[in-house]
Amino acid sequence: MSGNFTNGPGHDPLDRALASLPRDVAPSRDLWAGIRADIEATTPAVAPAPAAAPSHRWMRLAAGFLLVIASSVTTYVVTQRSAEEKIQLARESAQKQLLTTSTVDVKQASFGGQALLGAEYMRAREALDAEFQRQVATLPPVARAKLERNLADLRRTASEISATLAEYPNHPLLQELLLSTYQNELALLASVSHVSVPTLNQPETRL
Amino acid sequence: MLSGAAKRADNPVMMNADRPTLSDTALVEAARGGDMRSFERLYRLHSSRIMGICLRMCRRRDVAEDCVQQTFVRAWRNLGAFEGRSAFSTWLHRIAVNEVLTYARNHGTRTETSDEDVEETAESGLGGGGEFDAGEVVDVERAIAGLPEGARHVLVLQAVYGYSHEEVADMLGIAVGTCKAQLHRGRKLLRERMGLEGSG
Repeated sequence: MSGNFTNGPGHDPLDRALASLPRDVAPSRDLWAGIRADIEATTPAVAPAPAAAPSHRWMRLAAGFLLVIASSVTTYVVTQRSAEEKIQLARESAQKQLLTTSTVDVKQASFGGQALLGAEYMRAREALDAEFQRQVATLPPVARAKLERNLADLRRTASEISATLAEYPNHPLLQELLLSTYQNELALLASVSHVSVPTLNQPETRL
Repeated sequence: MLSGAAKRADNPVMMNADRPTLSDTALVEAARGGDMRSFERLYRLHSSRIMGICLRMCRRRDVAEDCVQQTFVRAWRNLGAFEGRSAFSTWLHRIAVNEVLTYARNHGTRTETSDEDVEETAESGLGGGGEFDAGEVVDVERAIAGLPEGARHVLVLQAVYGYSHEEVADMLGIAVGTCKAQLHRGRKLLRERMGLEGSG
């Protein structure tokens, strides 16, 4: 769309009459409960998000712990799949590539600019990204463009949520969304490299 | 130095200090990851516009609400197929139009509009300081509701919601030429029924 008028209603009385109509019409009742019931009746249950944290400090500690575990598992999976030398070579190759032909912007993962994700996580991410760059270069242009666009979307989303989180550092939903986005990014990188990444079900921060 | 409020005003993702607002893109990404609360936010943001489209196309409030509900259920199931090449709202509107057309195919096109529905539709958007009063808006809604189905669908999507001929033709599965002809017919009938012949 569009969906927006490119020309104003002008002087035609019919156009002005049409322009006076409300675009939005509220349903007579809240339809969300029915929508949610339909969704849950036909799709696997999604892990429920936790309620408001009883202790923010506790949540931070738990989140950091979970993230370290997830990072370790991710690294383990990656190193199991390919020899360490291969990863090292791929990393060096990717670093050279990124310096010269950076097609996808790799940004440092962060939580609202307040704290960085762990070094181990970043190393695993770098390794996956290097493998991603290597694999994606072998794909047809259309598939490559789609994957790179998806990755760029995820990184843009993470950046947007991170910026919002900088303003609302204690907002649990934002923390969950950011972790979910980072997890999706890892899953995408891993899927191209044919590596599985464990799913995180809890909000995690390492502050 | 900018105040917090001023900084938030410059930030497109902020609306107020108490409730951070994310873009559709961020909410869609989160919903794709299974976050139902993000999807509920998308529902809250878009349901009224979709209701407007469905109600004007099918003319019955109960049917329109069913279509809105099915639109969001279908959207959830197909979030993975949304590639972001169009706005999320456009993608939702396409699903909604498809729901209305599917309903019409399955149940015929004998949907009756009621004066109550027309008045409720008109009243729901009043108060915006426009030059038309409630009675005139009701008259426009009633005139649109009385149009033949093909002309009504095109006119609603093109003249009310601002979609291009190409987009409307694609949504409705008709040729662009047919779309233009239906719009011309719809506008002509509206002029006649609203006593605007000779204007425009």
